[in-house]
Amino acid sequence: MNVLIVEDERSLANEIASFLKAEGFLCELAFTGLEASEKIAINLYDFVLLDLGLPDYNGLDLITEARNQGSDAAFIIITARGAVDDKVKGLDLGADDYLAKPFALVELFSRIQAVARRKFNILNQNLNVGDFVVELQSRKITWKGKEVIITRKEYDLLQYLIINRNKVLTRNQLYEHIWGNILDDQYDSNFIDVHIKNVRKKLNEHSPTPWLETVRGIGYRVSLE
Amino acid sequence: MKLRIKLALFNLLSKLVFTLLFLVFMPYLIDRINLIQVDNDLIQKREQVITLISKVGIEPFITSDTGNVFGSYNILKEEFISLERIDLKEDANYIEVSQRSIEGEDIDYRVLNYSFKVDGNTYLLEIGKSLSSILHTEKNIKKVMLAFLVFIILITFLTDLQYTRRLLRPLDLITKKLKGISNPSTFDKAPVITTTSDFHHLDNALIELLAHIDQLFQKEKDITVNISHELLTPISVLRSKLENILIQKEIEPEISTKIEESLKTLHRLQGLVNSLLLIARIESRQYLREESFYVEEVLHEIISEINPIAEDAGILLKEEVAKDFQFDGANRSLIFSMFYNVVNNAVKNTPQGGKVLVKSFNRNNNFVVTISDTGRGMTEDQKDTLFSRFRTKLETNGNNTGIGLAISKSIADFHGIEISVNTIIKKGTTFSFVFPENS
Repeated sequence: MNVLIVEDERSLANEIASFLKAEGFLCELAFTGLEASEKIAINLYDFVLLDLGLPDYNGLDLITEARNQGSDAAFIIITARGAVDDKVKGLDLGADDYLAKPFALVELFSRIQAVARRKFNILNQNLNVGDFVVELQSRKITWKGKEVIITRKEYDLLQYLIINRNKVLTRNQLYEHIWGNILDDQYDSNFIDVHIKNVRKKLNEHSPTPWLETVRGIGYRVSLE
Repeated sequence: MKLRIKLALFNLLSKLVFTLLFLVFMPYLIDRINLIQVDNDLIQKREQVITLISKVGIEPFITSDTGNVFGSYNILKEEFISLERIDLKEDANYIEVSQRSIEGEDIDYRVLNYSFKVDGNTYLLEIGKSLSSILHTEKNIKKVMLAFLVFIILITFLTDLQYTRRLLRPLDLITKKLKGISNPSTFDKAPVITTTSDFHHLDNALIELLAHIDQLFQKEKDITVNISHELLTPISVLRSKLENILIQKEIEPEISTKIEESLKTLHRLQGLVNSLLLIARIESRQYLREESFYVEEVLHEIISEINPIAEDAGILLKEEVAKDFQFDGANRSLIFSMFYNVVNNAVKNTPQGGKVLVKSFNRNNNFVVTISDTGRGMTEDQKDTLFSRFRTKLETNGNNTGIGLAISKSIADFHGIEISVNTIIKKGTTFSFVFPENS
């Protein structure tokens, strides 16, 4: 998939690009609004990651421009402004998602995946994890066709780990994904440990879960072939 | 006490003092006035008698048959007139009080004595008015005057009260305006209409002062918001760099642990900046407040989120919430955070085997939510600084920046919710949230 990263902070743009390249994306960079505007006019992108705080452009105008040219690229807004009306305006203009800086790269990845599933109608939304099947569309996990009852938060946690499989996710990243930025201050690593413990307990009743690994001193990982 | 009442009371008091003075001097005054009146009356009567005698002569009154004396009085003996032929060395013309005996009854009279000559004979005219009738008149006058006085005092007191109320109305309005503000930005900038220049100046000075304070506040908030933005970008860069290092496959476990620790620290910094930003945004009213929702649903959601943690820590998290309280004109995610921070805090500060109770109910006209724990409680000092942004005495694990309750407080202020704290050391703490009446 082709991604355009519109971000005036060069080192951040480079980090995002290097992360996404490792995930198999083709990335192009635009450091100014003008540059971005030209690139959108010429090339076809599946995704545009758009920083709203551009020095020469109101980022939101780029969405309108792209739409007027018939582009159906998915826009994900990334911004440090984080003002409430920015979010509302962006989504009104047809942005597909909104991410406040600073965000975790794995969070960005899971958002891109979610938008891709929605936008490009990817039908095969079932993932095999050990003896279990995670059904992304209906948001449930089954064992031999039978649903395993876990809470919404537990499911979110598990899905996040599975989408970012084979990567260690820190407790911070997991916490942030589930509880968002607003409760940052209350961060308590214990929260994640308790939830993982509960997930393991519920799944282990059906089948062992060696794929759900604890990585000492860092966090958790779902290891899949 | 209100200025208006004070003024009216002063007026009343000063009137009472004057009235008392008047009451002390009144009998003497009325005596004097009455006496002068009576004497004038007597003199007038004397003139009438003299005129009559000069017209008809002395004969109709005095002949040798009457024994040189004429006397006349009315039946109640209030007045008498007597005429007598006597020998006098000096002319008499004076008024005195003397006792007369009429039909065997001794009565005190005020008597006018007047001598005159007719045909070489000297006559003495006496005109008397009884003192009791004079006193009676005096009493009546006193009664009327007293009634009038009371009436006047009452009327002037009431009009004073009304007038000062009208006069001080602008001051009342200004006081009300000041009382109603929790934040300089909410001060009503419309000037109070008044013809009293003092109030006009006062009002103008207040409006200017509060506008100035508001400007300073706004500037401070803008600075907070700007600094926060500036801080978030480098945090963002640093974070992405560290995360990219962490996902490399060939990395040494030792190094990845260090990277994770750095990320944790960075996360704390991020949390801190975001919290400051959040408070600045709430205080400058950048959040919308237009949602309606049931508070019990929010509480229930919070409890089911925190319950796994509470269970794991061996704490009983219980809810006793009243149904059907809808909160209008609010921001749901902010209210969620407000309660979440306090419930989470309560669970964290309660030892194993303890209990945290989330309760809601109606008290008078207000909806109330209380969150009580059986934790270690707080000292008065700790309680006083509980909602400050950065408490000096932090007793938390390194993860908590101590700003969570400050966030809850500013969210509560934003929604007009009153927070109070009751705490007993080693027994526990109760947070109460009193919702505004019309919500």
